[in-house]
Amino acid sequence: MFGFRPLPPGGRSRIRATRALFIRHGAEGTPEGRSLRLLREWLSPAQREQFARKGYFEVVGSYSGKRYRIHAGASVNVCEIGERGRLQEGLCFMPIGALPIGDVMLAQKIALETCEGEVRAVARRFTPNGFHFRQTRPLG
Amino acid sequence: MAIQIVMDRTGDSRHPFNPDDAQELAKAQQRFYELTKAGFTAAVRTGPGLSSQIRSFDPTAEETVFFPRLVGG
Repeated sequence: MFGFRPLPPGGRSRIRATRALFIRHGAEGTPEGRSLRLLREWLSPAQREQFARKGYFEVVGSYSGKRYRIHAGASVNVCEIGERGRLQEGLCFMPIGALPIGDVMLAQKIALETCEGEVRAVARRFTPNGFHFRQTRPLG
Repeated sequence: MAIQIVMDRTGDSRHPFNPDDAQELAKAQQRFYELTKAGFTAAVRTGPGLSSQIRSFDPTAEETVFFPRLVGG
């Protein structure tokens, strides 16, 4: 009745690539798209590459030298990384106001890289797990 | 041209100004202090992926971004 036909070989990956292109370029005019463009402009080439490939990027704390991973998200999305790359303590903090996702992530990056102590003073701690950091959308 | 970028619900509001124009520079300086007084943090790009916070107006900064006060979630 519905006439579903199987996709030709490679069809699924083409659909996925088309969807990623649409999200990346078609959303440029939205608040979220504008904020993600600003974020990408402020990332280092390595961070930009990491964000595009993995959906997160890492920064180094200005005071302790600790590594933090900032995942795509507007809350419960920052995690301290241990020496062997394992997730340690999660930090939940964000700028006030309902800012789009890219702005939140850029504020988190700048804050950790320039005033880590202030961040740690206000952030709520959480125990990270896989659920918090699932990559659901290609944002990089 | 220099630019001040203020994060908001729309993504950002952009305020370009000519640093060689005294009137535009004064307006940019006024915006800087109004925003930081209201709790915004100002940061400038110092290199690829590098930034630093500034607490007083820098007339030579090409791009300054302002984000609201941080709170715990």
